[in-house]
Amino acid sequence: MSMRSRRLFTGASTVAFAFAAAACGDSSTAPGGEQELISRVTLTLTPTTGAPIVSFIEDADGNGPQAPSAQSGAITLTRGATYTGTVKFENRLVNPPEDITEEVEEEDDEHRVYYTVSTFGSSITVTTLDTDGSGRPLGLQYRVVAGPTTGPGALRVVLCHYDDAPKVASSTSCQGDTDIDVSFNYTIVN
Amino acid sequence: MMTASQYLDGDAANPGVPGRQPSFPGPMPSRFLTTSLHARVRRWRPLALGLAALACALVGVVALPAPLAAQARHLHGVLEDSATARPLGGAMVTAAWLVGATETVRQTRSDGAGRFDFRDLPARRVLLRVRLLGYAPAERTVDLTADDVLLKVTLAERRVQLSEVAVTADTLVDALERVVAMSTLDRAALDATRGQTLGETIKNLPGVSVIQLGPSIAKPVIRGLNSQRVLVMNGGVRQEDQQWGTEHAPNLDSFDADAVTVVRGAATVLYGPDALGGVVRVDQAMVSDTGRMRGEVALNGFSNSRQGAMSLSLQGGGLQLPGIGATGYRLRLTSRVAGNGASPDYFLSNTGFRELNGSATFGVQRGWGTSELAISHFGTELGVLRQAHAGNFDDLERAMNSAPRDSSFTYTIDRPSQRVSHTAARWRTTFDARDAGEVEVVYGFQFNNRREYDNHGPLRFQNVPAFHLRLFTNSLDARWKHPQWRGLLGTVGVSGMVQGNQTLGKAFLIPGFDLRQGAVYAQEEWTAGRLMLSAGARADIFSQTTIAFADAGIRSPAGTKSWSGFSGSAGASLQLADGWTASLRAARAWRPPTVNERYAQGVHHGTAQYELGAPSLRAERSLGVETGVRYAGESVSLDVAAYDNTVNDFIYLQPREPVLTIRGAFPAFNYAQTEARLRGVELAARWSARSWLELQATANAVRGTNRATGEPLFDMPADRALVQARITGQRARLGAWHVGLGSLLVRRQDGVPEGTIYTLPTRGYSLLQGEIGTAGATLFGRPMDVSVSVTNALDTRYRDYLSRYRLFVNDPGRDVVMRVRVPIG
Repeated sequence: MSMRSRRLFTGASTVAFAFAAAACGDSSTAPGGEQELISRVTLTLTPTTGAPIVSFIEDADGNGPQAPSAQSGAITLTRGATYTGTVKFENRLVNPPEDITEEVEEEDDEHRVYYTVSTFGSSITVTTLDTDGSGRPLGLQYRVVAGPTTGPGALRVVLCHYDDAPKVASSTSCQGDTDIDVSFNYTIVN
Repeated sequence: MMTASQYLDGDAANPGVPGRQPSFPGPMPSRFLTTSLHARVRRWRPLALGLAALACALVGVVALPAPLAAQARHLHGVLEDSATARPLGGAMVTAAWLVGATETVRQTRSDGAGRFDFRDLPARRVLLRVRLLGYAPAERTVDLTADDVLLKVTLAERRVQLSEVAVTADTLVDALERVVAMSTLDRAALDATRGQTLGETIKNLPGVSVIQLGPSIAKPVIRGLNSQRVLVMNGGVRQEDQQWGTEHAPNLDSFDADAVTVVRGAATVLYGPDALGGVVRVDQAMVSDTGRMRGEVALNGFSNSRQGAMSLSLQGGGLQLPGIGATGYRLRLTSRVAGNGASPDYFLSNTGFRELNGSATFGVQRGWGTSELAISHFGTELGVLRQAHAGNFDDLERAMNSAPRDSSFTYTIDRPSQRVSHTAARWRTTFDARDAGEVEVVYGFQFNNRREYDNHGPLRFQNVPAFHLRLFTNSLDARWKHPQWRGLLGTVGVSGMVQGNQTLGKAFLIPGFDLRQGAVYAQEEWTAGRLMLSAGARADIFSQTTIAFADAGIRSPAGTKSWSGFSGSAGASLQLADGWTASLRAARAWRPPTVNERYAQGVHHGTAQYELGAPSLRAERSLGVETGVRYAGESVSLDVAAYDNTVNDFIYLQPREPVLTIRGAFPAFNYAQTEARLRGVELAARWSARSWLELQATANAVRGTNRATGEPLFDMPADRALVQARITGQRARLGAWHVGLGSLLVRRQDGVPEGTIYTLPTRGYSLLQGEIGTAGATLFGRPMDVSVSVTNALDTRYRDYLSRYRLFVNDPGRDVVMRVRVPIG
């Protein structure tokens, strides 16, 4: 080996070693330390008189393999009564919790919350009250009218994101991407 | 029973999933199952296709876009020691010729009697180079214009050092060549597909197919295996770029390749135990430290995605570096920009990509050997088909059943998208130890930075990747190619790799980990007359340490696990008669489970598929037997191979009950193990029917079986055959021109496992393609290569089984490609 090539060899070895040293030992699992998602959906139903009903469903592992928790707070509705409803989407896996509802509101043209009442059991009627900038339903504000039959029922809440698919005012189910899909149980009493 | 309408096909009237209107009956989980779909496929019947293709071959046909000369010449000879007249075996012999600006190199190795043989060379002047350890390289020009040539080449023992000849291949390839099924694409063949991805470049070779996500992502599949079972070697270094994901394409510049070789079947001894399916080698020519500066500009235009590609390269020698002296260099800059791909009826939304790559290589050739340092950077940003990025299972179902929306054409890349960069440094040194052989040391550093951007939930409001993986890899390989010893010729080596992965981003998919790997191996060959025996053995040790993650309900444990094992192969090849060779080979391979197979926990980008790892997975072990027959005659060549590969503890994704989250339900899969068997046949044939006409054919058929259930394995390519005819000629100003016409025939894929919608069968299809071009034409007073080709010429609607978008949209339609290459200097 000539002097020059020896120098080349030494130089390159040093560089190689530096690379190697830099690359090892700093492996980590730190996906943000915070999950960027919606972890809790809360419904607040305010009767014309009396205290509001608050109920939420939470998924502690977000998109993880564990199923969402059971519903916290029973929704007990009075037969024939009318309620003003709001929905709140939150990320409670970060501290302080993040209110995603604001982002939905900001991008109202691309969102819609659908409320679907299961056909079995006792029925309620849900009417969306708010609209987006183009006059299409949004669904953050709504009205619930409890039906005449007492008994249990389920209300499915779907937060739909329109990106590619056009948001059509008359559509009755999500035609875009589903951001949230949960079902709340309710009971109608006398 | 499955009805014909349950095939995914390219029907324009009903572009979703035809015949599947009430397609997901019943409540969960049964709606995730396609339930007892079809009668058992008679598995071997389709091999009739292979036989039919064989018949085609005898009528003559081939896929290898090999450069064809007007007349095929035969160049053969004997190598002798100039002093003792002893025949010299094991020498590397190359024949090179220029067509226009393109240098084509063929190579072979002299046998035990010192003989070498090249068939089907063009009728022109060819540069013959001979290289053997301990001898001075020899070079001579051979004129094949008039007739075949038989010659004797004498080599003198090396006293003076001459500069190294630049050839694209290296020692590893030659040792394997005779017993292993492999095909090489040389410069000219590669130039015919320039501008496309690596996967697209090799997909017509025997035994190869690709998993495709539109025009931007193509992953090689060899003998039915893909991802972590197929190794990509770039310039002698294992490419480490998160290959476990089927939507992770090999991150390398397809312009920066002077030869691409596909080794079919387990080639574990020399490349690593995880090369169960095969190896794709990408090699660059060595830079020469002498010679003037020259370069080339290559320009491509693709009509389908309105893609433009440009690559500039500049190389030369005599660069005087302080402390080093005369150095050779090569610089390359490549850019590719494409918009949305187009299927016959609509644009594929968000399937564009942007790529910018650069590399710099410096090399010296000295008395002691050679040394080369290459630094490269690959950067891409690519879109993922909007429809394929389903929010949850309901969205997926809707995306499959609704007609694809015709998005407008755009170059804009929107969410979901990937930004991936791969930075590598490769330092390769060979020491010529004269009579003691040759030592090669390769050091590689790689940094892969993968960011995937979601279009779901709050993340779409932010410029923050959902998944962010950073993979650092250091590898060191040293091998000694020993001189002939008692008739044995071979390579002994050690190999080591250290790898660290960082999982950043906002969502968990795999944990961070450290991986350490070490190996020793030896590969030897022995020739006795017409018989050549080869054997190799390798011992590996792996240690995998995962880093704990516990947040937001997801738990992934820390832990270290080690695996060790042996792999090996033994083969024999026999020259039966003039031009005929038969070979038989058995290979044992194994592979430890990768981190994603053990710990994956999350939804896959682009498929709404929830994957769950199994930490207790055992190593996967395979035993394969293959046999091949080759014929290389005056005007006909034939290569037929058949294999049977049994894999114990084969790791695969098994459907399970859906995972329920706040976003709804997701179809879910567990990593599980079973006993798998892969069998198949491959064929490549060529017939020079006339001096100006050549017919070519390749065909593949593979059957994968889950032996525990008797069901077919998922992701097996459909049987296919490519037949092609080429007319070639030579005109003074026009150069070496050619016109080609070919047809790709793909059988329906109904050999699919039941139980998930992802495996729905696809219909057969056939595509027409053509090409017209010339090498060495004189235009505007400059020599250049120009070609125009068209793929899917009839704008056929189809869906390939290995297209990841087949559940949603048709594959791309007609694509007219224009290629121009102009040498500079």
